[in-house]
Amino acid sequence: MTDLDFGREAYPIPGPPNSSLADILERVLDKGIVIAGDIKIDLLDIELLTIRLRLFVASVDTAKKAGIDWWETDPALSSRAAQNSLRDENRALRERLDALEAKTEETEETKETSDHT
Amino acid sequence: MTDRGTEQVTAESALYVFAVCKLPDPSAFAGLPGVAAGEALRRLRFGELTAIVQTVRAADFTDEAWQARMADRGELERYARAHHDVVSAAAESCPTVPLPMATLYHDEERARQALLDETERFLAALRRTTDHSEWGVKVYAAAPAASDPARTRPEPSAGGSRPTPGAGLAYLERKRGAQAQRERRHEDSLRVAEAVEAAFQGLATAGRRLRLHAPEPAGTSHVQVLNATYLVAEHRAAELEPLTRALRDATGARIDISGPWVPYSFVGEV
Repeated sequence: MTDLDFGREAYPIPGPPNSSLADILERVLDKGIVIAGDIKIDLLDIELLTIRLRLFVASVDTAKKAGIDWWETDPALSSRAAQNSLRDENRALRERLDALEAKTEETEETKETSDHT
Repeated sequence: MTDRGTEQVTAESALYVFAVCKLPDPSAFAGLPGVAAGEALRRLRFGELTAIVQTVRAADFTDEAWQARMADRGELERYARAHHDVVSAAAESCPTVPLPMATLYHDEERARQALLDETERFLAALRRTTDHSEWGVKVYAAAPAASDPARTRPEPSAGGSRPTPGAGLAYLERKRGAQAQRERRHEDSLRVAEAVEAAFQGLATAGRRLRLHAPEPAGTSHVQVLNATYLVAEHRAAELEPLTRALRDATGARIDISGPWVPYSFVGEV
C-alpha cells in the first residue's frame, strides 16, 4: 500500500482536448470505479442513449411534417413569429390600399361620364 | 455492513462524488463549475484518501430529472463534460480514480462511510493505473466503393418479351458475386481490426474492447470495425503516434486515436 509514489508534484493527464461527446460518454457512463451510491440513477448505456437522442431529433422533424410548428410561431422561440406578424400587417395594408385605389378610380369614372354629358 | 438503501431522497441536498485521489491540490479544480451552479468543489478526506465532491440539489438528481436530461443532447453533454473536466483536473495534480457520472450520497457522513468501505479497491486501482493513461483506438473500414464490380455490371437488356437465354443464371451469379464480395470485405475488416488490436496490445499494459459505434445518422459512410481502449505506460506513450501511422500505411484503414484519458476503463475489476 505504501509502494506508490504519491508524492509527485504533477501528474500530467490533461485529458484529450476537443474530445467528442461519444468518447466522453462511453467513459463517464459506466466506467470508472463503480461503487454503490445512495441515490440510484439509471444511466443508460451509450447505445441506448444515442438511439434516444436520435429519436428526440427525429420527433422534432416528424412534428414539423405533421404541421405542428408551435415553436416557430411562438415569439419566445423563434424570430419567425415576428416575421409572420409583419407579413400580416403588410397584407392588411395592401388590402386597404387596393380598396382605396378602387374607390378613387370609381369616383374618377363617374366624374368623366358626368363631364361628357 | 452499512445500510446502503436506495430510498427516495427527501433531503434538499445530496453529495456528488467525482473522483478519489491521494492528496489533490485544491487549486487544480478551483475555477471549475462542476455539476451544480454556485456550489464550490471541495475535498472530502476519508482515511488516507481524498474524494472530490460537490453539494448538489437533490431535486436535480432524481431519476425523472435524469431521464429528461438523457433526452436532451445539450444538457447531457453539459453534465458529461462537467464531470469529465473535474476528473481530468484532479488527475493533473495526482493519480486519480474516476467514479462514474452521478455517484451520489445523501450526505457527507454516508459518503465517507461508503468510500472508506471501498478503500482497498481504490488503492488497488491506483496501483494499477499510476504512471499510465488511457488511449482510445478506433478503426474504420472503407465504405464499399461505388465502382463495385458486382454492382456496375450492366443489367441484361430489358427489351423483348422473352428474357435473354441465361439471364437467370447471370442474375444468380451476380447475386453470388455480391455476397462473396460482402463476405470478403467483412473478413478483411476483421483481419485489420485484429492486426491493429494485436499491435496495440503489444505496446499497452492492458486493453479492452468497447462497443462499436453505429454509423452517425448523417455522418460518415465509414463502418467502425474496432473500438478499443488501452492502458499505456507514460514512458511508452511516445510510441503510439508512429505505431498508428505504420498501421495506417500497412492496412489502408482509417485509424483514430484519442488520449491521454484518465484511465476510466481500467480502474474497475479488469
